[in-house]
Amino acid sequence: MSVEKSRRSFLRDAAFALGGVAVGAGLGYVAAGGGRAPVTQTVTKTTTQAAERKVVAGFVYVGPVSDYGWTHAHDAGRAYAKKVCPWLETKIVESVEEAKVQGAIETLIGQGANIIFTTSFGFMEGTAEAAQKHPDLYFAHCSGYKSGAAGNAPQNLSAYFAEFYQLYYLNGLAAGAVTETGVLGYVGAIPIPEVIRHINAFVLGAKESAKARGKNIKVYVQWLNAWFDPEGANKAATSLVENNNADVLAFTEDTPTVLQVAESYQKKGKRVWSFSHYSDMSKEGPNAHLTGQIVNWGPIYVDFVTQVYARSWRSVDIWARVGDYMAYKWANLQNPKVEYDGAVYLAPLNPVIPENVRALIALRWQQMKEMLFEPFTGPIKDMDGNVRLKDGERATHDILWNMDWHVEGVQTPLPK
Amino acid sequence: MDPMIILTTMFILMVQEGSILLIATLGEIFTERSGILNLGVEGLMCFGALSSFIVYYLTGNWVIATLAAAFAGLMLSLIHAFVSITLKVNQTVSGLAITILGLGLSSFIGRPLALSRVRIEPLESIRIPVLSEIPVIGPSFFNQNPLVYFSYVMVIILWFILYKTSFGLNLRSVGENPSMADSLGINVFLTRYIATLVGGALCGVSGALLILGYYPSWYDGITAGRGWIAVALVIFSSWNPLYAFFGAYFFGLVGTLNATFQSIGFRMIPTDFFRTLPYLLTIVVLVIFSSTRFRRRKMPASLGKPYTREL
Repeated sequence: MSVEKSRRSFLRDAAFALGGVAVGAGLGYVAAGGGRAPVTQTVTKTTTQAAERKVVAGFVYVGPVSDYGWTHAHDAGRAYAKKVCPWLETKIVESVEEAKVQGAIETLIGQGANIIFTTSFGFMEGTAEAAQKHPDLYFAHCSGYKSGAAGNAPQNLSAYFAEFYQLYYLNGLAAGAVTETGVLGYVGAIPIPEVIRHINAFVLGAKESAKARGKNIKVYVQWLNAWFDPEGANKAATSLVENNNADVLAFTEDTPTVLQVAESYQKKGKRVWSFSHYSDMSKEGPNAHLTGQIVNWGPIYVDFVTQVYARSWRSVDIWARVGDYMAYKWANLQNPKVEYDGAVYLAPLNPVIPENVRALIALRWQQMKEMLFEPFTGPIKDMDGNVRLKDGERATHDILWNMDWHVEGVQTPLPK
Repeated sequence: MDPMIILTTMFILMVQEGSILLIATLGEIFTERSGILNLGVEGLMCFGALSSFIVYYLTGNWVIATLAAAFAGLMLSLIHAFVSITLKVNQTVSGLAITILGLGLSSFIGRPLALSRVRIEPLESIRIPVLSEIPVIGPSFFNQNPLVYFSYVMVIILWFILYKTSFGLNLRSVGENPSMADSLGINVFLTRYIATLVGGALCGVSGALLILGYYPSWYDGITAGRGWIAVALVIFSSWNPLYAFFGAYFFGLVGTLNATFQSIGFRMIPTDFFRTLPYLLTIVVLVIFSSTRFRRRKMPASLGKPYTREL
């Protein structure tokens, strides 16, 4: 009985035990499985989130992307940023009137943009107001002076610009080396410090290389009073060549016209040279193209959108010059071959520029990269003979930024 | 500085710009003489410029390219003709629509060209013997590309057609009094169609001269408002091709003042003033020439009025 009882109790106990094991194992399995499932889910969720996290950059352009300079270059920068950053989506609004910038910004925000670039000086106030209104979004304005960094706008607004005067100095070196008449022409858009700085740097460069040839340099300036005026640029360039006997034409305006005029003289057998502006225009003047200044907004745009992506935004006021946004900034003495890159760089050099001047251009480029050389270093006199920079004095940012005088060598007084 | 050189440069630039304006003005005169106002000149020029640019780039033949520009202007003005002659819609509205359409279409089609920086070789100048030796006038008027010579010839041809042929008489009478002309057996609709299409074709050719002659790459805004100046020049030249010749070169000359005065260092007048001068002049011309007395005498009496046949 006891045996039977004990057997029965054993069987019962065994059954319970088995059942317990089974249930336990089952529970354990479920618990384990249930535990694993949420973990897997979390991991998947995190990775998908990273893949789906996008930055949408909106661009407000003052002109059409098919213009011949300013907007075209900005759009090339946008395309570059899109290529480099797979998580970047871009939206553009073209040909926006300056008074309508806020409407364009709101449109882009409606399309999901979390960073907005506005690329005209006249967009500055509207962009600053939009930055105030949308503190959770980011803004960057090109060619103005308002930013959180400068302290005159909210912290979600940055400013950026690319500066060419150093490249105009290099252009000047090329011009001084090839001119036969010793007369250079300059077609300027609007007499503002930026353009005046360009002209002066160009003249200083030309004087440096012409001095080695024992030549004096005279520079005549024609003003268009417009950024886009192909007809005026044609007339100004032709007048400089015909009336002033200029054989190198530099310019700051938004059409390829001046280079085209130089090329048509080359076709007629008259040696007249010109440059690229903003983008490589060497195709426009296969014979007349000496070199020129080129901007690559791409690295600047990559910088800004990466800040938004990495949530590391900090308001900045960028004035990109030679040496900025370069992978390799220091002169490579082992490999002296110069590669002109960065946010601003030099167009291909025409073989007509003598070898020693090409080397000089490369040297000055390296020196400017490392801030060992500044074109505006005294003694510099203005065209009326007043000393503007004392011997050895370097121009400060403010002197460059507010320049309203011409250096010696310019023949045309500034318009009043 | 040699004053002869400055004067010659001024004239060369004057003929360049003036000839572009001249061809468009001649086209618009021809159209308006039949009583059709076509404000689409700017759009027609731009579309013509783009068409000739593409064809010249593909074929390298400027004659075919010019014909393409003429055809482009013709097709675009066909829309204006149909809308304003057959459908009798307000011509001002239709003309403005043609301008917007022409500019927009050119910008859209031309975008890949602008982005890829396609370039053509500009037309070469042909020096006319003997005549090109005359000081000032020679190098400016007689050392130009063939399309400039075409503009001179067109002045004579259009003047001859308008004043010396029965078709010209019909065309002018249609512009003055279409119902009278109709009663005399002139086909008013056909005449107006022809005038509008020929005018549109000439505006296209003017665009071809612009781009093949002087600005050999495509970008947005290349016509830069010249079409509107041509419209004003029609009034300035009293709807007469011979006067258009002088009007166009006068405006061309005004356009060179900015560069010339800067060359000689004349700084009394700010350069801004010269930029606005052609437009200022346009307004002055419109005000003076739109006085009722002048209008009654010179303007085609039925200009801008759709013709409906009364049964």
